[in-house]
Amino acid sequence: MVDENTNTAGQPPEKAAIAVHEAARHHIDDGRLIRLFDHFKREWQIYVMLLPTIIWFLVFLYKPMYGLQIAFKDYSIFRGVANSPWVGIEHFHTLFANDQFIRAVKNTVTISFYNLLFGFPAPIILALMFNEILHATYKRTAQTIVYLPHFISSVIIAGIVITAFSPTAGIINTFIGWLGFEPVYFLTQPQWFRPIFVGTGIWQEAGFGSIVFLAAIAGVNPSLYESAVVDGANRWQMMWKITIPSILPTILIMLIIRIGNVMEVSFELVILLYQPATYETADVVNTWIYRQGLQSGQYDLAAAAGLFNAVVAFVLVMTANTLSRRFSRTSLW
Amino acid sequence: MSGVNLEGIVKAYGALQVVHGIDLTVAEKEFVVLVGPSGCGKSTTLRMIAGLEEITAGDLTIDGRRMNRIAPKDRDVAMVFQNYALYPHLNVADNMAFGLRIRRMPKAEIKTTIDDVAEILGLTPYLDRRPADLSGGQRQRVAMGRAIVRHPKVFLFDEPLSNLDAKLRTQMRAEIKRLHNRLGVTSVYVTHDQVEAMTLADRIVVMNDGRIEQIGTPMELFNDPANTFVAGFLGSPPMNQMKGTLTASGAKIGDAEIKIDGRVGDHAGRDVIVGIRPEHVTLSAEGPSSALPISLDLVEPLGSEALLHATHGDDSLVFKAATNGDIDHLSGVDAVHVPSHLVKLFDAETGHALNFGV
Repeated sequence: MVDENTNTAGQPPEKAAIAVHEAARHHIDDGRLIRLFDHFKREWQIYVMLLPTIIWFLVFLYKPMYGLQIAFKDYSIFRGVANSPWVGIEHFHTLFANDQFIRAVKNTVTISFYNLLFGFPAPIILALMFNEILHATYKRTAQTIVYLPHFISSVIIAGIVITAFSPTAGIINTFIGWLGFEPVYFLTQPQWFRPIFVGTGIWQEAGFGSIVFLAAIAGVNPSLYESAVVDGANRWQMMWKITIPSILPTILIMLIIRIGNVMEVSFELVILLYQPATYETADVVNTWIYRQGLQSGQYDLAAAAGLFNAVVAFVLVMTANTLSRRFSRTSLW
Repeated sequence: MSGVNLEGIVKAYGALQVVHGIDLTVAEKEFVVLVGPSGCGKSTTLRMIAGLEEITAGDLTIDGRRMNRIAPKDRDVAMVFQNYALYPHLNVADNMAFGLRIRRMPKAEIKTTIDDVAEILGLTPYLDRRPADLSGGQRQRVAMGRAIVRHPKVFLFDEPLSNLDAKLRTQMRAEIKRLHNRLGVTSVYVTHDQVEAMTLADRIVVMNDGRIEQIGTPMELFNDPANTFVAGFLGSPPMNQMKGTLTASGAKIGDAEIKIDGRVGDHAGRDVIVGIRPEHVTLSAEGPSSALPISLDLVEPLGSEALLHATHGDDSLVFKAATNGDIDHLSGVDAVHVPSHLVKLFDAETGHALNFGV
């Protein structure tokens, strides 16, 4: 007699159901693989075109991850990554006991906050302003002028800033001199570093960054504006009530990306503009890593700091994405 | 009098003139439909009335006031757009309230107005929804609601039903008609769909190439088209048009001769276009009529009636015939009978309608 709780194969019903489910899953997986293979056979040219990007990711982003393990090792370039002994989270203890590192983290967050506060809205405001320019030639000229600094190397940008703020021949101090004041040694005074750095970043990137928002504005249905005109809205009202809400999803996506880069303060520009006198406000995690890792040869400690940076950025971008998805139905993924 | 008057209205983009001096008077509470093929200037004309396009020449008056230089907001018109133009980030209530808030209407009054209009349009359950969560028909109603809440002097409709499927379009067409009967607001409606024009309009304005071809009630235009363009544009299927030559008592079309009422004999030998509506023919002689031999290509059953696709000489023709529940009897049709009083004649060169009297 067959037990009511077993099937003909002698399995209890739960196990049989699991087996059927597993078989179906494998079947689906097989189906997917077959479909992928068929797709590859049919569209192999597209996969070949994708190959350089995949190689780039593997070589420059995934292969270096192998080296991340030195953050947990007492690394020596003579012993190599594999033969260096494990030390657990000792480097992280060292990091958080280091005042300079804590200062660098604080500076990074502070500068990023100012960048977010002033630098993030700047391209949006620029795009909204460009959108209001009706004269085509004037608009093109203005756009070209503000896009230009993006194409200039950071070294040149830093040179321009240093020259402009020079206490002897800089235009700013010349102007201050005309007003009857003493010259200010801007780049040697810690309190001036952040405004100068954030301002330079805005000058360099706001124009180019406005392209994304201009594209979003171009995508707004023109009949929304026409409808508003018939309803009696003026340009200011149209900007607030139509343009900005319409580009809000783009703004949120860009904000999420920006939050993901909070720990990535422009390393090149900081290293070109700062000096020991301004470390107090200028030294960020990346410059600290550079000094510790490359200049002092503490690769393992620098790797630990880099990993910390990456984890914080990852958590921030995940949080921002989740919040954005929950409150605005817009998200990166 | 909240009528609209267009006098010699011209629209040009640089050297390119797209509307060539339109004269049109829309009476108060009248529903006028501008109809014509794409690019005929009907939407441009509507946009000039709305103030969205500048008027190059001519005079536009609304309610007796010249509007050429008046801003759209001060013309007291409301417009319903083809793609509804609903603000995606606002819910139905806020979309409808947009124009009222801009005009700084008191909040309580806005709410009452919106509730009233939502009730009329059956939108009350959807007031909190965003446009993305509505069906095409509901969005269309919101667009109309947004226009209605303003209580404007003139409604302007720019192909408002063209984004809807055929069934919904029929439904919404009836709703617009009912709404107009209820509100009695002067309306100018643009469409390229002659069925919409015929069903909605008090008067139809047929436009072609930036000019008005004919203005009249739907039945006037259907029964007495001013030219071959109007004859070919209105009616579904449109009027059959064949080249012919007038004879003593009718017109010779290829080898056939059909009788035509009126004094056509006075113009015997004149080349004309002979127009026969698809639904005017019969399959057997009924009253004064003549047989027109045809070569049947295809029978398209539509239910109660069928379309007969046929040729006569080089002319492709379409006729309508009753099916009486069966189309088998139609497959052997080799001639149709044309009632002599329903034949239309047009000048072969100008295409203008000819009327030789009875």
